This record gives sequence, structure tokens and C-alpha cells, in this order.
Amino acid sequence: MTSRRDFLKTASAAALVAGAAQPLLSWAAEDFVPIPGKDGLIVRSSRFLDLETPVEFMTSWITPVNHFFVRNHMFEPAKFDAKAWQLSITGEVEKPLTLTLADLEKLSVHSIVNTVECAGNGRSLQNPKVPGIQWGKGAVGNARFSGPSMKTLLEKAGVKDTAKHVQFRGLDQVPGKVPPFIRSIPIDKAMDADTLVATKMNGAPLTAHHGFPARAVTPGWAGAASCKWLTEIAVLDKPAEGNFMNPGYRLPNTPVKPGEAVKPEDTHSVTALTVKSLIAAPCDGAKLRAHAYLIQGVAWAGEADITKVQISTDAGATWNEAKLGRDQAKYAWRLWNYSWKPAKSGDYVVFSRATDSQGRVQPEAPAWNPSGYLFNAYDQVKVNVQAQ
Amino acid sequence: MSKPSKSKLRKLRTIILTLAVFAAAAALAGESSSSSNDQLPAGPMQEKAVAACSTCHEARIIVQQRLSKPAWTKEVDKMIKWGAEVDPKDRDALIDYFSANFGSDQPAYAAPRSATQSTAQSKAKK
Repeated sequence: MTSRRDFLKTASAAALVAGAAQPLLSWAAEDFVPIPGKDGLIVRSSRFLDLETPVEFMTSWITPVNHFFVRNHMFEPAKFDAKAWQLSITGEVEKPLTLTLADLEKLSVHSIVNTVECAGNGRSLQNPKVPGIQWGKGAVGNARFSGPSMKTLLEKAGVKDTAKHVQFRGLDQVPGKVPPFIRSIPIDKAMDADTLVATKMNGAPLTAHHGFPARAVTPGWAGAASCKWLTEIAVLDKPAEGNFMNPGYRLPNTPVKPGEAVKPEDTHSVTALTVKSLIAAPCDGAKLRAHAYLIQGVAWAGEADITKVQISTDAGATWNEAKLGRDQAKYAWRLWNYSWKPAKSGDYVVFSRATDSQGRVQPEAPAWNPSGYLFNAYDQVKVNVQAQ
Repeated sequence: MSKPSKSKLRKLRTIILTLAVFAAAAALAGESSSSSNDQLPAGPMQEKAVAACSTCHEARIIVQQRLSKPAWTKEVDKMIKWGAEVDPKDRDALIDYFSANFGSDQPAYAAPRSATQSTAQSKAKK
């Protein structure tokens, strides 16, 4: 019998060959695009900046900032003096406020660990293809965000009874006649103690790519609800208007056939994330040269908790329960692993599927929609095993 | 020293193989400096497409799309509305150019990786 130590050694050697070497090779075939502070990410666009985290990086609970995905709709603000930055709270409030970074820093700090996923993550896996950044699997990451609760700021300004939605505007620079990236969230979500005006990410001040000096963090929701470079919070008596509320970031109210058109009146805004898991190791196409292998990955469910991750190594015929990682927090993903001992050499299709506390199960087929949002079909990798 | 066991030799072989793969990858990375696949392809509309699109975004955003002609029509019209300067008499040709080069039947775009400036510089020196 293989001892645990031997198993780990073999597994890590296999992980080196199968996990690390293959992406390096595909990586080597291309130029590197120099991007300050971002190492080894998949460049979906360098102007404006859209960077994806390769799934093989997703073996740590907290995603380091240099590996964290970036989704920008516009150009990042030009370098500015943080002392000159201001955040205004306006609209349906008793007493409009303007705060500086020093004012923010005087307020009590709340920290949450939150999995941020771009609504369009997995878009390239939709069939038929839909327009937009062609994200693979990795427009998602998990970080600790810290700053005052948005509620604290809103209470200082005194929210009127007429308040229904809270609109965010950032300092990103809008080219041409492109509509600005302005969206809103319902007042109840904005008043949740875990919704932040964050100034820190993983304990350090936000970097420019992640919204320096302050950003909204709307936990458990698609990334678009967490406006970066925040400069205005406007309390409204109705949802915000504009391209990024409608037609942008909307899902069909009822399932549609792949490729089918959807009328604007039959849609609703993307809000919380859905249930999903990803396989971080082995990589798709890996050649495993071991008789035991640790299948690893992450799973998250927006505002719900992950209750179970199952692995199939026979393309869905049978399922085995993975072990969930120890680290957990309300809006954070869970690491998981499954110790696999393939019975014989050959080609395998490995699936992962997560279940959450709301009873949602990751589906076999994605819910296709015209913008390719919230892709959450089973994750799958194909591997070849030559047991030694 | 005792003779290394068969399993130790096997592990050693794995490590050597791994190192060899890393070295090959590093060598390839050092050599590739002109394999940029983020450019719009040659064609009668290339210049006009660059002029219309590149004020706001790089060509890579176009190059990665795989869309039908009706979908390209919607995108081009949206971008004209958003400020892309396209002579009305060029609109149809531009849609044809994108549909022909970035249609739904084309193989997927292979995106490059990012490197921090220091990593990129040290790679360039090699």
C-alpha cells in the first residue's frame, strides 16, 4: 500500500509535470505582455485591461493580488493624488456628504473575505458564441476586503424613506461616446453590514487595477456590482438607468434555447452569483504518470454556502464526494480536493459539480443567454493516465 | 552510500524531465518576440478598422470574437453609436471583413500571458 507520504510525493511530482509544465509551454508560444503587478495572467485585453487568472493558480484560499483577475470596462483613471480624492454621497439623503480618504480612514473598519466573479466568466464556453470579452474559466478570485461598511456612510448622510437603489460611479475614463459604467444595487443590499467601501485588499491599499483608493464591494454578487475607483454614491428612488443596467447585465426571466433572441422586457438584472466549482488540478489535457492523484479546485455560491462538491472520473456515470477545505467565510469560495486512484491507464473525463445551501446544483448544461452571463455548467477536464 | 532504489530513480527521472520542460519553455519564451497575434489581418478594410476601433481598445478585443454575421452587424452598429468613426459607405464592408476573419467557425484565439515589468525585462535580456 502507498503511504500518505509517498502519495503526496508522487502527487506533487505529477502536479509539477502535469500541472505546471503544460501551461508554461502554451505560455511560451506567445509574447509576454508586460503589465505592472500582474504575473502570469491570461491577457484577454491589455487596453482596456482585462486579465484572467489561470485555473491552475486556484489552489490557495486567498488569491494574491498579482494573480487576481482584472475586469475594466474603460480606461483606468490617470495617476492622481490620493489626498485630492473625494467621495460624495448624494441623492435621496438628508445631508449630502463629501468625504476624503482621511475621513474614510477614521471610520471603523470591517473586513470580509469575498469571492468576486465577473458576470461574463466562462463566456467563451457558451455555444453559440456571444460577443464580449471571451473569458475562459478564471475571471474569479477570492480576497479579503477591508474598509467601512457602506451602511455607516449612508447613515451619516441620512437615507430618506424614498430610497430604493444606490448608484455607484467610478473615476474610470470613458472614451468616445461610450456610455459611462454606472450601475446601482437595491438599498437593502447597500445597507447590509457586509457591503463595503473598501480601501484595502488582502491587507494592503487597493492597487490601481483594483480601484485605488476605494471601491464598492457588494459581497456574493457579480463583480459589476462592486464599482472601482468609487467617487460617487447616489441614493435613488428607482434603479439606475443606462447601458450597463439595461441592456447590459441582464438575464432572461425564463430559460431560452441557445441562440434565441430575448425581448428586453423579459429580462432582469444580474445580482448574486450562482453555484459553481472549478477544477484547478489536473489541467485539461494533462498526462498523469502516477497511480494516485489529488484532484483539487474551488467552489462558491454567491450569497449561499457550498454544502457539497462531487467529482466524477467517468464522465458523469458515478460521483464521489470531495473533501472541503478548512478555510471558510460567508461569501468566500471553499477549496476542495479528491484523492483519486485510477484503476487503470487510459483517457478520463473528470467532472466537478457543486451543491449549495439553497439546494442549487451546478447543472450539466449552462443556461445559455444572449450575453453569456453566469456560465456554471459542470467543470470538466480531460486527462490521460499512464499508471506506473 | 547505498544504491538508489528503483522508485528513487524514477522520481529523479521525473524531476529531470520536469526541469528539461521548464528549460525548453524558458528558451522558447526568450525567442518569441514577433509572434504577436493581436493585430487585425491584412485586407482592404484593415486600415479603416484600425482607425475606427483603436482609439478605444486594442485589436485583441476584436480578434478573440467568434461571431455570426448578424452578431457582427449588431456589434459594428453599437460601436458606431458609441463613437467609432466609420464612413457609412464602409459599414457593410467592415461587417464582411470581421465576419470573414472572426466568424463562428474559426478556431479559438490563443491569448498570451502577462508578466510584471521586471519579469518581462529579465526575459528580454536573456
